[in-house]
Amino acid sequence: MLKMAVMIKQVPDSQDITIDPVTKTLNRSQARNVVNPPDLNALEAALLLKDKHGGEITVITMGPPMADVALLECMGRGADKGILVTDRFFAGADTWPTSFTLASTADYLGGFDIIFCGEETTDSSTGHVGPGIAEFLGYQQATYANKVEYEEPYFIVERDIEGATETLKIGKPAVVTITLNANVTRRPTLKKKIEAYKKGVTLVTNKELNLDPNCIGLKGSPTIVKDMKTVADPVKTPVKPSIEELDKVVSVLVEKGVVK
Amino acid sequence: MPDYDAIVVGAGNAGSAAAITMASKGLNVLLVDRADPPGAKNLSGGVLWGNDLSQILPKWQSEAPLERFIDNKKIGFLTEKSSITIDFKTKYFDENKVGHTVLRAKFDPWMAKKAKEAGALVIPGITVDSLAIKDRTVIGVQESGDTITANMVLLAEGVNPRLSIEAGLRKPLQDRELSVGVKEIIKLSPQKIEDRFNLSEGSGMASEYILGNLGELNIGAFFYTNKDSISLGIVSPMEELRKNGVTHTYDLIEMFKEHPSIAPLIEGGTVAEYGAHLIPEGGIESVPQLYGNGYMILGDAAGFAFSNGLVLQGMNYAILSGIMAGETAVRAKSMNDYSAKSLSEYEKKLNNTYVLKDLKTFKDIRKVTGNPKMYTVYPQLLEGILLETLWERGQPKKKVRDILSEAAGKMNMSKVKTLTDFYNIYRRM
Ligand SMILES: Cc1cc2nc3c(=O)[nH]c(=O)nc-3n(C[C@H](O)[C@H](O)[C@H](O)COP(=O)(O)OP(=O)(O)OC[C@H]3O[C@@H](n4cnc5c(N)ncnc54)[C@H](O)[C@@H]3O)c2cc1C
Ligand SMILES: Cc1cc2nc3c(=O)[nH]c(=O)nc-3n(C[C@H](O)[C@H](O)[C@H](O)COP(=O)(O)OP(=O)(O)OC[C@H]3O[C@@H](n4cnc5c(N)ncnc54)[C@H](O)[C@@H]3O)c2cc1C
Repeated sequence: MLKMAVMIKQVPDSQDITIDPVTKTLNRSQARNVVNPPDLNALEAALLLKDKHGGEITVITMGPPMADVALLECMGRGADKGILVTDRFFAGADTWPTSFTLASTADYLGGFDIIFCGEETTDSSTGHVGPGIAEFLGYQQATYANKVEYEEPYFIVERDIEGATETLKIGKPAVVTITLNANVTRRPTLKKKIEAYKKGVTLVTNKELNLDPNCIGLKGSPTIVKDMKTVADPVKTPVKPSIEELDKVVSVLVEKGVVK
Repeated sequence: MPDYDAIVVGAGNAGSAAAITMASKGLNVLLVDRADPPGAKNLSGGVLWGNDLSQILPKWQSEAPLERFIDNKKIGFLTEKSSITIDFKTKYFDENKVGHTVLRAKFDPWMAKKAKEAGALVIPGITVDSLAIKDRTVIGVQESGDTITANMVLLAEGVNPRLSIEAGLRKPLQDRELSVGVKEIIKLSPQKIEDRFNLSEGSGMASEYILGNLGELNIGAFFYTNKDSISLGIVSPMEELRKNGVTHTYDLIEMFKEHPSIAPLIEGGTVAEYGAHLIPEGGIESVPQLYGNGYMILGDAAGFAFSNGLVLQGMNYAILSGIMAGETAVRAKSMNDYSAKSLSEYEKKLNNTYVLKDLKTFKDIRKVTGNPKMYTVYPQLLEGILLETLWERGQPKKKVRDILSEAAGKMNMSKVKTLTDFYNIYRRM
């Protein structure tokens, strides 16, 4: 029986994000929150292993209290437990304390045979957190995986390496990050969602983890955003070509075989 | 024993109102909605007449995510170059504050949250596949092959009631029973809104127009102020759009936005959202059998909406029908009788409220809103009279009577016909 964890992050739905025409900054206020898309592929990878080998899946997220719905969504798809890592001391974390806190949570929960992550998030997309967790825990790691099989006591991992596939055999315990669209994700079902909402999620705060305040949240974040620059839209000057010029364009296109 | 006393399909206004009514009386309720958060994808023009909400959520006026209370209502005609409106501003509106603009993407999740607080189990992000029926009794719902059972299923699935239709509980909808609404939300600063519409903080304006600038097309339009945005759109009968081969409803909304009296009001605003939705406008004739063994049909799914060209309402009908169905369910539970006979109480209750009374009173309203003259001749006639009487062009003045008969003559209308037409409108409104 495999003991598995899936790390998920709640992100604003990129379809709902607009760019403020005046300030040119991202406007996330209208955006609904969704589970970071590749994290659903990570969950599916875990569910596939569970279908075949049995086991237990714990979904974990570090985020604000309202991120519980992201966990419940995953439980509705078949995860067994939801852990919400939340504390005001965890707020403002960059990738270092995020990885540290999540690794500590995994440790607190007794460790796992395998921890799945998404390849990266749609809102910050550093791709640091999965490898970070592996390093803090001293687990094996494989990133950008499309497929994970289990042949006791190894995981067989297919990695996407731009134009080729690399197959790795790694031992337990391991962290594997899964690419977007690596598999077809299953939908939540009403029955499982009812169970999930009845069961609820378990909170983990720094009372439980007891981490050094200097290593978590904003205080524990070595990154400092010094400056943010917005790039101006390129100036577009409309042209009004004459019929002759248009003819020229068309003949060039015909010449090059673009149009017939 | 079934899993729940009641399962409500759809967390729109009707479903949430029903769930709150039942859960607050101790019933074991499951409320399921396809969107997450529940109801977040619903769409309305946006004026909620919330009187009935006080019955189940007495503090709604201070707690709900409301935009602006309606302090000013306008109705009128637009022709190519003119706008003729009645501008109604009254202290009655101010003192009662029951009409409010709302944005459904915020309002519906709030109502669903209230259902949860009342004790209902609210499950978002799930589309129910079908009804579970046994011995001609609805015994629950089905999803992904699982059956969740309940003593009663309340169908509040909106204007396109797939489950009810597939289970044979109501007939498929015909074009003539539907209108299409297309809506945009245009961002504008509260400051600009208050300046442009002569409003104070919190107060708002709602206007409805008959568009006489789009030829033969039978189209109404609405324009409402929110806190920091405008909701505007057009509504047209489905039949009309098909008959005229109109596929690009967004062209129509553009034409409304470009009207000389509308364009300056939204100048500088940016379109933040765009959506289209159907509206049930079949009137009393398209209301189905409302109850049966183990089920009731609520809100838009039951055809409860009202439009007469001056107002477009459905949220209030949805809420009140939700409350009535909820109360019926509470009574059924107390008698442990979920048969059609027991649930017939629902229709009895509706018969005593405006929900069914309005639909009966205005059973012929489509003959008025569908009268092509409303969109062609009459706006022009009115414009003609106003131009003759209010525009000094250095010409001798005419009596209204002469203006009318001249204009009518120009438009090939006999006096008798016009008078009969007016009488018919008057009789049906
Ligand atoms: C505008 C902006 C600028 C930022 N700049 C920086 C910066 O310069 N440097 C920096 O270090 N941080 C920065 N951050 C914060 C930081 O990147 C993240 O929000 C957080 O640390 C996770 O990193 P990520 O989103 O890139 O995750 P990734 O590393 O891309 O995520 C990979 C996977 O890790 C898992 N994961 C990630 N976050 C969580 C979580 N909270 N809970 C559970 N699992 C999770 C998921 O499986 C995810 O698919 C910035 C944030 C913003 C919004
Ligand atoms: C353009 C436009 C303007 C309007 N303007 C106004 C106005 O100004 N004032 C007014 O009072 N009314 C207005 N209306 C009418 C009003 O929007 C509706 O009458 C009202 O929303 C009906 O509420 P309801 O709860 O019956 O349905 P809905 O609000 O449509 O809710 C139905 C719910 O059921 C859910 N659902 C459906 N099928 C399933 C399923 N199989 N499984 C799970 N969930 C399901 C949907 O997700 C949805 O949340 C307008 C409508 C339109 C289109």
